[in-house]
Amino acid sequence: MSSIPAISVVDVHKSFGPLAVLKGVSFDVPRGSVVSMIGASGSGKSTLLRCINHLETPSAGEIYIDGEPMHFRVAGDGQRKPRPIAEINRLRRDLGMVFQQFNLWPHMTVLGNVVEAPRRVRGLKRSEAGELALECLRRVHLLDKAGEYPARLSGGQQQRVAIARALAMQPKAMLFDEATSSLDPELTDEVLAVMRDLARDGTTMIVVTHEMRFAREVSDRVLFLHNGLIEEAGAPEEVFGAPKSERCRQFLSKYLPKYVQ
Amino acid sequence: MGNWERLVWNQRHLLLDGLVVTVEICLIAFAAAILGGLVLCLVRLYVRPLRQVAIALIEFFRATPIFVQLLWVNYVWPELFGWPGSFFTAGWVALALQSSGYLAETFRAGIEAVPRGQREAGLSAGMSHPLVFRRIVLPQVLLMVAPSLVNQFTVIVKSSTLVSVITVQDLMFQSQKIVNTWLDPIEILTATAAIYILVVFAVSALGKALADLLRRRYGLAAS
Repeated sequence: MSSIPAISVVDVHKSFGPLAVLKGVSFDVPRGSVVSMIGASGSGKSTLLRCINHLETPSAGEIYIDGEPMHFRVAGDGQRKPRPIAEINRLRRDLGMVFQQFNLWPHMTVLGNVVEAPRRVRGLKRSEAGELALECLRRVHLLDKAGEYPARLSGGQQQRVAIARALAMQPKAMLFDEATSSLDPELTDEVLAVMRDLARDGTTMIVVTHEMRFAREVSDRVLFLHNGLIEEAGAPEEVFGAPKSERCRQFLSKYLPKYVQ
Repeated sequence: MGNWERLVWNQRHLLLDGLVVTVEICLIAFAAAILGGLVLCLVRLYVRPLRQVAIALIEFFRATPIFVQLLWVNYVWPELFGWPGSFFTAGWVALALQSSGYLAETFRAGIEAVPRGQREAGLSAGMSHPLVFRRIVLPQVLLMVAPSLVNQFTVIVKSSTLVSVITVQDLMFQSQKIVNTWLDPIEILTATAAIYILVVFAVSALGKALADLLRRRYGLAAS
């Protein structure tokens, strides 16, 4: 069972009209590992992340969650058909997504945000979901804000609530889409600290980020995307220490001049 | 002062009867307008084949004068559809039609103002589209448009004076009856205007209090 990756991306293509954003991307995310995706804006990393939980449908290729295909099924006549939405929703429960813009629901309290999906999607009782939610808020150090509305929280706090909300579904993997990109530097650290804790606890994570230090320190594997393809992949010390591709070197030199000569 | 007593105070039961009818017809029209507006808006946004029909209805309701609609519903509909059977029903239907056109557009603006990311956050947790609409979009839309709803209610209250023309015995109708009985319009029409002002002010104050509460509590833009 341990041989099946938590997430397996196989030859995924994605086009928006004539614009090809992903041109054939494949990689595995073993259980308990952290994979970071870096690359310039427009390189396709956010689109790839959104394909993984069906916020976008790949034009070709497939993504497997614990060995089960996310988007398509093969019908009796051998044709590739979209999976029924109910099955897709069942798989989506197992992926926790954290967005750049937090996307908290402003009409619900912090606790309400975290309780919502476990209650309505997993069907937990109010008391069970409540306990679970408080445990998740404790993990992101926001137990004292349970009764507040999102508008009264700082950006960093809102993002930590969003992380707790995703954790409350007890997902098999967490997806972070530039989770700190809209935060001030001092607020970035508190969110990264929570993400470090998750990684240390063995959470399977895919992290799209511009925080190169974080990617270097926390990841098991780093993917550098360029023009819709994985241009370079490897352990962080390889990618950051001795990038093989010229483009990756150029990209990193903008962020970490000291790492790349 | 004798006139005030004779024409207004002594007729207070008539005015009160009229006010009750006014409040009744306005509340029914308001509820029907919210329901109708929501249905028109949802059809326009999510039912592709009927979209043009919904747009046509919305535009028609908004572009025709309320007085014309009132007479149209009262005199034409019974011929065409055999309904409505009473002046009172015709009155609230006409009031509701026009407001539902405006409210459909208000609801649409509200739905489109809920950031897409909030929907995606629900979907990515495995919530279905209907669940996302019911739990995430709709409550926020109602919060956002609450002040506009209250405003539309004051419009209905003022427009409702027209139903007296098709002999619905509302406040305006009773007031005119008193005028026609005594042929002395000054006091009674002034008093009638004052009552409408009080009702509209009360509704507006309620709306403002509601907007303030929502803004404080949820940080939502309530204008």
